[in-house]
Amino acid sequence: MTENSTKGTLFQSIKFTDWPTVKEALISKDVGGVFILAPMAMQLVADGVPIKVVYLGHRDGTAIVVGKESNIHDFGDLAGKTVAIPSRYANQNVLMHRLMREWNMAENSIDLREVPPPEHPTALLAGAIDAYIVGEPFAAKAEVDGFGRVLYQASELWPDFISCVLVVRQDLIDEQPELIQELVTGIAKSGKWLDEDLEHRLDAAEVAGKRYYFQPPELLKHVLSKPPDRVRYTRLTPLKEEFDEIMELAFEIGVLSRRVAFEEYADDSFAGGVEGASWDLKALPRPEGWDKGGVR
Amino acid sequence: MKLKVAIGALAWALLISVMHVHLNIGWGSFSDRIAVMRGQQRAELMIGFLPVT
Repeated sequence: MTENSTKGTLFQSIKFTDWPTVKEALISKDVGGVFILAPMAMQLVADGVPIKVVYLGHRDGTAIVVGKESNIHDFGDLAGKTVAIPSRYANQNVLMHRLMREWNMAENSIDLREVPPPEHPTALLAGAIDAYIVGEPFAAKAEVDGFGRVLYQASELWPDFISCVLVVRQDLIDEQPELIQELVTGIAKSGKWLDEDLEHRLDAAEVAGKRYYFQPPELLKHVLSKPPDRVRYTRLTPLKEEFDEIMELAFEIGVLSRRVAFEEYADDSFAGGVEGASWDLKALPRPEGWDKGGVR
Repeated sequence: MKLKVAIGALAWALLISVMHVHLNIGWGSFSDRIAVMRGQQRAELMIGFLPVT
């Protein structure tokens, strides 16, 4: 997220550490939009919160991680084990249930426990859990620190896996659509820039690690380069058929209180004009002190 | 002669300035700074995120 868009709008990012606070900030209009879990966005709409999914945060970028010396070698070995998930409203939770069905396992054959994402690696190291499924960089954390092993990348299990989506408030869509378009276009440009060159990814790891994530840049470099398509930032238009599948599964496992139609919670009109567009991305402006850290 | 030198210097300075904005600053950021200098209010949008990709 940049503070300096190409049109001069001041986009500022605010970091949260847990999903409930994100939800509250959206409801209280402290934020115009958030990157939020896809099923959570659906449930917020089911609860009457006026928001819309306008773009995806990324594709793939999730992994199931087990201990390095663990005797877990495929999904079936997770039966009877304890696995951490980021939230019951996470698509990672939906994926675990989808896999249990594919492997003909009972719904309760794996003990799924909600654990805040930053605590997944330490919980594995401490032996409190047998495995975890989470978005990056916490999946790679155990791998880089030498005590974890990736059992599966989400892309192996659910191609084009969706985790975080960008939701914005409906009042902003109605009253300031040009602002939302500017935001979506900016994210699309950033994604294209990231995906077109490995050097860009390594550069981004430096900036994001120091300024936004407060994570070692080396960890983010690992995430963004090993392999380069571990997380993808293009093809981020919300597609109805993909969301319908997530929604149906989330409803069936009791995450959603009711079925929600795609049109109720998504507005793909802002993404329409940016998919496949080409931009000259060689001269991205960098604000002064971009590498010195600091985020609200 | 003096006039030609003055015009040439001015054109050169203008060219260098334009190239500087284009290559080092970016036109978006430049117009942003001009807007701030003129006291025009910028649109703002706060976006929340959790550091998970």
